[in-house]
Amino acid sequence: MATNLSLTKGAPRSRRQDHPLWFLIPALAILVVFFFVPTLFNFVYAFTDWSSFKSAINFAGVDNFTSLFSNGTLLNSLKVTLIYAVLVAILQNAFGLGLALLLERDTRVNRAVRVAFFVPVIMSALAVGYIFQALLKPDGALNWILGSLTGAEVTIPWLGSTTWTIVVVAVVHAWKWMGLSMLIYLAGLKTINEDILEAAHLDGASRWTMFRSIRFPLLAPAVTFNVATALLGSMNGFDIVQATTEGGPGGTTEMLNIFIFRTFGQGLFAQATTMSLVLFLMVTILAFPVIRYLRKREDVL
Amino acid sequence: MKNKFRNVLALAAAGTLALSACSDPGADTGSGGPVDWPAQDADLSGTTLTIWAAQNSNTVPDSVIAGFEELTGAEVEVVTIPDPYEQGVQTKVATGDKPDLAFWQPTASQLTALNASQNLQVLDDAPWLDSYQPELRDMTGLLDDTRYAALITTPAVEGVYYNKEVFEAAGIDPASITDWDSFIETARDFKSEGTTPFYEMAADQWATQWWVQTQLADAAADGLWDRVNSGEEKFTDPTIQGAIDNFKALIDEGLFNEDIKTATFEDQGEALLNGDAAMVMQVNSYFGQLQSLADTDELNQKIGFFPISPSGNVGTFIPDQSNALVAFKTGDEQRESAARQLLSYWMGDGYEEFVNAQSTVSLQEGVETPAGVPDALLSVSESVGSSVGSMQALAIANPDLYIYLADMIQGTKTPVEVAEATQSQFAELAKAQGAEGF
Repeated sequence: MATNLSLTKGAPRSRRQDHPLWFLIPALAILVVFFFVPTLFNFVYAFTDWSSFKSAINFAGVDNFTSLFSNGTLLNSLKVTLIYAVLVAILQNAFGLGLALLLERDTRVNRAVRVAFFVPVIMSALAVGYIFQALLKPDGALNWILGSLTGAEVTIPWLGSTTWTIVVVAVVHAWKWMGLSMLIYLAGLKTINEDILEAAHLDGASRWTMFRSIRFPLLAPAVTFNVATALLGSMNGFDIVQATTEGGPGGTTEMLNIFIFRTFGQGLFAQATTMSLVLFLMVTILAFPVIRYLRKREDVL
Repeated sequence: MKNKFRNVLALAAAGTLALSACSDPGADTGSGGPVDWPAQDADLSGTTLTIWAAQNSNTVPDSVIAGFEELTGAEVEVVTIPDPYEQGVQTKVATGDKPDLAFWQPTASQLTALNASQNLQVLDDAPWLDSYQPELRDMTGLLDDTRYAALITTPAVEGVYYNKEVFEAAGIDPASITDWDSFIETARDFKSEGTTPFYEMAADQWATQWWVQTQLADAAADGLWDRVNSGEEKFTDPTIQGAIDNFKALIDEGLFNEDIKTATFEDQGEALLNGDAAMVMQVNSYFGQLQSLADTDELNQKIGFFPISPSGNVGTFIPDQSNALVAFKTGDEQRESAARQLLSYWMGDGYEEFVNAQSTVSLQEGVETPAGVPDALLSVSESVGSSVGSMQALAIANPDLYIYLADMIQGTKTPVEVAEATQSQFAELAKAQGAEGF
């Protein structure tokens, strides 16, 4: 405030006077109340015995951590979460890149088809999950279609295998988000300099060589963004898995968030908070090396 | 220097914030129990009451609300909490959001989960208690000898629903099933004739636990759950482990449907009704499912019910959320009293209309059960009086036994792992409650 009052007309304004620090207060307040404090509490409550059973909240030390890590369910959930995230990252990028290459040219048809592939992105994830659950039931539409193609009755329980269901659910997740990856790859392809492609063409490079040696390396920034968001985003996944399998069959798709949800529902709030802290740490630990590696790839540009 | 000071100040502020916030937002400075029970028709113009209900109970209070609003001028609003209902309610209450009344499972474990002594009104001297049939009065709704829940409909019973026509075709008399051994013998007879004896739904998981619990009925009558509650006996000890092993053995023997891993609740309803299987171990909500598939005449003709336990025909009762209501301490005395008044009306002058509108079995001696109640439901309610408590009714915590059993059916857990996982979760919950021995 004092700095403002001392302003005299015509005096050269420094940057500091132009943007007094207190202008930050409204934004900072929102940031603190809605982001810093909840995150801080995520840390604090993890070390207490907060539950729905009593009103007092006492400090419990690392009790929650020891009991969680001695329990196999947490480690299983961590494993499932990681496998799921890797599967989604691979599938979503493969689908997205494939679509981008197919729909690269700006024709009228391609524009319409791109919109069609983007629709799932703006659909509710729960709706997507429930639709696929209905499609993939043993007496669902997919088996019916397969049955009428082969002429025999097909009753494959797509969501009933303790080995393959996680792949099926990852495909659904990748299907929902592939439109977004496609969009980003399309934008990446557009930024590639026409001259380079033309030069390669004149040198007699085949389409495959051009993709492998020129276009794909030049897509590095798009790959960074797509892989990082798919990998880290799907580690926080919940809605699609909950809607399709609820963590089943036999706990083989029970991701950490589903486990957290179940623990919270039992009234064990502190334990659930501890798990979300573990998830937070895991995402952080994974995010730095992955993004660092992907950024390094961009250095060739 | 100045900056350093500012940093210290900010840190201190953050610290106090963190510490002061370390009290449960759902906590209430509880007042004493209610003293007065207003007359059922006392004027309540201008008062609005909220009832939380689940998707399968949100139309249950309709007739009562209509009558109550007309009689008192109060307004009653039913708010549907999405499934899973119990988790939704618990989370809301923990963050300080409370209705005036809510449907709630009246068992000790679920009342503990709501922190009853802090959050719920005491219903100890409620005016309707004497009109209950004597064996139902103190059956449930109590925690530490204090009454927190009002039972409105007959509690669910775990037992066997069977297809009468399938039994008839096989020439088997259901009355010949008098204990667990004859029950399993009958199943083997069906199997040898090519009929699927039992139908289970492991894809939807929750019904898997009835098979273990009914086997524990004799032990439960003998104080099993008291011993489990004190940590004296564990899920991994021979009694409960044995029941789990036995269930697994029955599945391995091929007494269940072939698609047990992928079958759902809906499939289970159709299977019994169509005679694809002879028997289903289930609770009352299963009959609700059957009622959505067939009318009362067809059900009376096709579906029967008998309770089962190791030594006889004893049921295992498991009251659920649609069977009872709890009244919350909201801090607003006038609304708390209005909530008690609504309960007195529900279980008083409004009860006959309620039982008729719901076409359900009456719990009161002075009110007749309507004629349209299906036979199977009458058999269920007849078995209530002599039944013993389930894990949910008698244990202090309700672990996810059903999920672990479903895992066992899917093949990702062995029976021993099921018992271990259940025990460790039970211990975790008991410890969080501050129970002794954990």
